[in-house]
Amino acid sequence: MPLLWLGLLLAATLGMEQLEGVLRLIEPDSREVIYRRDTFLALLVQHVMVVLVASLLAVAIGVGAAIAVTRPAGRDFRPLVGQLASIGQTFPPVAVLALAVPVLGFGTLPIIMALLLYGLLPIVRNTLAGIEGIDPAVHEAARGMGMTGVQVLRQVELPLAAPVILAGIRTSVTINIATAAIGATVGASNLGDPIISGIVNGNTAYVVQGAVLIGLLAISVDSLFERFMPRLAPR
Amino acid sequence: MIELFDVTKRFGDEIAVNDISLRVEKGELCALVGTSGCGKSTTLRMINRLIEHSEGEIHLDGQPVRTFNEQLLRRRIGYVIQSTGLFPHWTVARNIGLVPRLLKWPRTRIRERVAELMGLLGLPPAEFAAKYPHQLSGGQAQRVGVARALAADPEILLMDEPFGALDPITRESLQHELRDLQARLHKTIVFVTHDMDEALALADRLVVMHRGRIVQQGRPIELLREPVDNFVASLLGGVERGLKEAGLTRVSERMLPLGPRLLARERVAQTAPLRDALSMMLWHRVDRLTVVDDDDIPIGELSLRRLVGGRPE
Repeated sequence: MPLLWLGLLLAATLGMEQLEGVLRLIEPDSREVIYRRDTFLALLVQHVMVVLVASLLAVAIGVGAAIAVTRPAGRDFRPLVGQLASIGQTFPPVAVLALAVPVLGFGTLPIIMALLLYGLLPIVRNTLAGIEGIDPAVHEAARGMGMTGVQVLRQVELPLAAPVILAGIRTSVTINIATAAIGATVGASNLGDPIISGIVNGNTAYVVQGAVLIGLLAISVDSLFERFMPRLAPR
Repeated sequence: MIELFDVTKRFGDEIAVNDISLRVEKGELCALVGTSGCGKSTTLRMINRLIEHSEGEIHLDGQPVRTFNEQLLRRRIGYVIQSTGLFPHWTVARNIGLVPRLLKWPRTRIRERVAELMGLLGLPPAEFAAKYPHQLSGGQAQRVGVARALAADPEILLMDEPFGALDPITRESLQHELRDLQARLHKTIVFVTHDMDEALALADRLVVMHRGRIVQQGRPIELLREPVDNFVASLLGGVERGLKEAGLTRVSERMLPLGPRLLARERVAQTAPLRDALSMMLWHRVDRLTVVDDDDIPIGELSLRRLVGGRPE
């Protein structure tokens, strides 16, 4: 299944020219129906890179924070981290962009910042749920057998919570693939470019091209997760 | 040997365990009994420092537990809990081998030890080694829990209501097995339970706790015969204490040699508890039983009058 979607994505990226006839139907009056300011491949690569960097950072920070607040020493910060992650998600990415541009300038950095904040919640929430959802008896036994904190974390908590954590990462990445498009408004060139440019110039065909590619990318990545994610361990 | 000297545990303002002193000899099975919330589990968990005591001292073989490294201490003490706490993502064999692995035993030695323990607890390795905990019945899971606790051959075993979640038949057979194991292994065991029959059946020594204090301790039969107060008396079964005592006394202690009379039809083993003999009399509506030895050969007789401790006719 992931191969099918990846194939479609690649075909659409490289062969958009072939669809000129179909796209002409959407926008019969425009001079140009294929977006040509940049190749779709370059835009796709840019898009993937931005999401990848933002997601890796979100995973590192999100999983790290959730682990930290489930340790005895960090327990006091548990409510705070939960709230911060929620605020990150309720804060619209566009607003983050608007606030980040004066500080970070135009280009890729502000969008990475926005995606990072936006993608944090599902990761933090799921990591907390995964770790806190472990049967307390398992935890008790692990400590009672003489495992150290690090051993409990690595051999018991993380493996048992992994499916739930990965589900959070999957949600986060998929949302970010779609959200990254707004980066085009602050000069990050990615698959959002054709969409923004289409809206500005009143060219629906551009919008369709960007949207189709983003959609295919999101589905491809999601099906990759589906394919390679470990099943929820029996409890 | 485990010793507690004037140990107190406070959670905030609440006193969970109040100034208790206790000594469990090597090779002894000591049962802590009492109503829920009396502090028996807290006492148990202070021994392996899952809970730190607030005051007093706890010694293992004369050494304060606080002087040990926490993890190293726990690896020396077997620990069994009611809900087993088996790791769901590990096989039975891996679960049992946990502590030896933490102690960095060589791999082949761990494998041998796991196989040995599985045999000891009636879990054929060929059938069970590769299974996961969710594929086990409650009784099998608890056997694995006991095997895991015994894996590194600890001298001390702490058991927190280990059989509390099992059905009565499985519970009884595991109690039997524990008694057999104990007869062979001579571990020092602290056993928490609220099941008085279980405590009476297993314990060398009974410690009754109430509201964080020890109210009485001694051999089960002593507590049955001379409870210090009404609480202990009612905890030990109230009016059923007679039956509980009969459960601890063997037929051979009350039987008389074969007399001139005809043998009674119903037979009872000399090793059976008096309680069983009484039950048979009630069931068959007779007042005399023939006592037989292990080979079913009559060796004496037991009358109702003798059973209840009266003089011979």
